[in-house]
Amino acid sequence: MKNLKLKIFSISRTLVVFLLFNILILSCGQRSTPVEDSIQDQVLYLGNGTEPQDLDPHIVTGVPEHKVLLSLLEGLVVSHPEGKGYLPGVAKKWEISDDGKEYLFYLNENAKWSNGARVTAEDFVYSWKRILLPTTAAQYAYMLYVLENAEDFNKGKIQDFSKVGVKAINDSTLKVTLRNSTPYFLSLLVHYSTWPVYKPIIEKFGEIDSRGTEWTRPGNFIGNGPYVLEEWKLNDVIIVKKNPYYWDKDTVSIKEIRFFASDNETSEDLRYRSGMLHYLNTIKVTKIQSYKESYPKQTRIEPYYGTYYYRINVTKDELKDKKVRQALSHAINRKEIVEKVSRGEQIPAFSFTPPDPVNFYPSTQIEFNPKKARKLFKEAGFSESKKFPKIEILYNTSEGHQKIAEAIQAMWKENLNIDVELVNVDWKTYLDRQKNLDFYISRAGWIGDYPDPNSFLDMMLSGGGNNQTGWSNLEYDNLIRKAAEATSTEERYKYFDKAEHILIDELPLIPIYTYTRVYMLHPYVKGWHPTILDTHPYQFLSLEP
Amino acid sequence: MNELVSTSNLWRDALRRLKANRLALAGAIFVFVLILLALLTPFIAPYEYDFQNRGLSSSGPSLNHWLGTDYLGRDLLTRMLYGSRISLLVGFVATFVALIIGVSWGTVAGYLGGRVDSLMMRIVDALYGIPFIILIILLMVVFGRNLVLMFLAIGAVEWLTMARIVRAQVTSLRRTEFVLAAQAMGVSSISIMTRHLFPNTLGPVIVYATLTVPQVMLLEAFLSFLGLGVQAPMSSWGLLIRDGAVSMEESWWLLVFPATVFSITLFSLNFLGDGLRDALDPRSN
Repeated sequence: MKNLKLKIFSISRTLVVFLLFNILILSCGQRSTPVEDSIQDQVLYLGNGTEPQDLDPHIVTGVPEHKVLLSLLEGLVVSHPEGKGYLPGVAKKWEISDDGKEYLFYLNENAKWSNGARVTAEDFVYSWKRILLPTTAAQYAYMLYVLENAEDFNKGKIQDFSKVGVKAINDSTLKVTLRNSTPYFLSLLVHYSTWPVYKPIIEKFGEIDSRGTEWTRPGNFIGNGPYVLEEWKLNDVIIVKKNPYYWDKDTVSIKEIRFFASDNETSEDLRYRSGMLHYLNTIKVTKIQSYKESYPKQTRIEPYYGTYYYRINVTKDELKDKKVRQALSHAINRKEIVEKVSRGEQIPAFSFTPPDPVNFYPSTQIEFNPKKARKLFKEAGFSESKKFPKIEILYNTSEGHQKIAEAIQAMWKENLNIDVELVNVDWKTYLDRQKNLDFYISRAGWIGDYPDPNSFLDMMLSGGGNNQTGWSNLEYDNLIRKAAEATSTEERYKYFDKAEHILIDELPLIPIYTYTRVYMLHPYVKGWHPTILDTHPYQFLSLEP
Repeated sequence: MNELVSTSNLWRDALRRLKANRLALAGAIFVFVLILLALLTPFIAPYEYDFQNRGLSSSGPSLNHWLGTDYLGRDLLTRMLYGSRISLLVGFVATFVALIIGVSWGTVAGYLGGRVDSLMMRIVDALYGIPFIILIILLMVVFGRNLVLMFLAIGAVEWLTMARIVRAQVTSLRRTEFVLAAQAMGVSSISIMTRHLFPNTLGPVIVYATLTVPQVMLLEAFLSFLGLGVQAPMSSWGLLIRDGAVSMEESWWLLVFPATVFSITLFSLNFLGDGLRDALDPRSN
């Protein structure tokens, strides 16, 4: 008993200390928040989701990386802040030949690297060679397949890069020759895979085709964007500061941007609400409804050109049979997922390409039909007596992904009576495992890199860097090629629609819903307009009360 | 020979002292009820643990769902009941594993003494130095996540203290008369250890085991909290508390109920352990 009293005494003493500590913290709480101070010091605080994989534009593949790179590098053209076409970037003007196959870019003499050196046409030739070199093994190399001979070069069929359709006529003139007339070519140029890198710094830390070298570290990084890399704390923050050599520096009004990394939606949410962020990358699914009511101006739900889907590794024995994949797809109630689980006004997806934005409406259908699903499953040879082996759903750690995975796990259990395991890993591991086909089914989201169905459909070409399902289909490849060669939009879309039908019949991926962008933005941030690809170049933003 | 006079023996005395300790008794009753509920879960749980009523997402306590439902419309009471099975199972099995390894290791080291003792105890010291959370995470990463492995992993970490306690006890018993007598009569070492030494270490061992159970449950909760515990849709208390913590602003019941029950369980086990120590080892008081 004496022991106990002693214990209680020590507990109460701890309590008193704890309370005192709290009072101390509360009394300090009167200090103004970073967001309140931001008008004065012009620092923009952005929640950036997960920790970037790297900051090498030719290696990375994700959205968080894109948001940081957008501040550090600049391509030939830049996106219009309201999504209306393209503005001059490194190129001050350009000419397009009548057949649409030849582009002449005239580079701005004032476009500089962050060490003061000029950005030359040769820099672009070097950079595009870098991403296209087979030894770089860039997943995004196919973005430049629109260049003449680029695909052959990337696949090792030709060795001579001078045959590829990009030439530096002199320091300030770049000539690009395309394989076909490509109506969306300019929109490729705002994607980071086509952005330039600085040759001397790449070769200081490795060869042209080295991956993951030190050049992307603060202090080493040399870019040509409106900002320069100042600091990079892993799993915490990336700080960029205004670039004094940027050609358009007078437009840039925000002095510093901090990108905060966080896998945890709850902590990011708390950060936003306690005035430490201007921008909340994702709203927790459980809170969307209440935020819409209590912060109607800050809560934003906007159309987004992307698809949430489940990637299927067709090289696994269990998933080889397309009937199994169809059964899995028919057993998902997409309407219920968007209404009851994701709850961000998403639209159930029945095709890989999202409908609408560019007037392309795929005619594919996927019925929610448990009966049909069971029938297909039986035809594939699985029944009560021969149970389907246990498979896994892989996803990167996030409450939202987990909820959807759990719902789908339950739907498959209810409708097909199969057991599925959920495996969550961090972003880098997740990307690695997908790349190495080390998964059964993995959650995936694809955001269009440019506003054209091709951005979705050419991803599934045989052997494509971002295909990552092991699936290949010659007929499909042919259709995409024909679409590229087509002369009218109508004809292109006809081929795309046929390709969609193959995809939805074969199902190397199961579409689930069309994304919406669900985020919060502080009213201080001005010049931010909804765009379908969610691109907001930082030079056009400002912080005003 | 029949015992004519009822003498007071150690166990009866201990029981009497335990009964007098109200907190310990309350703890014992609570733990007993909890084990009973966990055993009967499949019969008494109102729903299936993975049944999702997606129309009834995050609803508060009601007549149909006494403790409310989670985001996917699963009944919290059901999930807590199923969770108790996992948490208690981990608690007891891992403790048992720790007990087996710890007691045999400690007995051998204590009885043989000398160099063997030094060597065995240095191994224990070295293992103490390894950050055990990292060890467990490593094991999970290498062998994948499964429940049996978790038992072994936690048990393999928790036996160290047990080994030290038993060794200390055995070392002091080794030179006592009854052991010397047994040795003189030519009883084999193994028999001495199992028949003579082990029963005499039982008191401290029981106490320590009772205190290990809540420790292990906490560890399991911690692992689940890190996302390394049991797999969805199965639930454990740690997992429920983690999910509850994430959504405590929107649905308080998801955190409050599992956390309360978990805390009471830990308290009960600790009170019981304390009570047992007082009862079995009156000298320490």
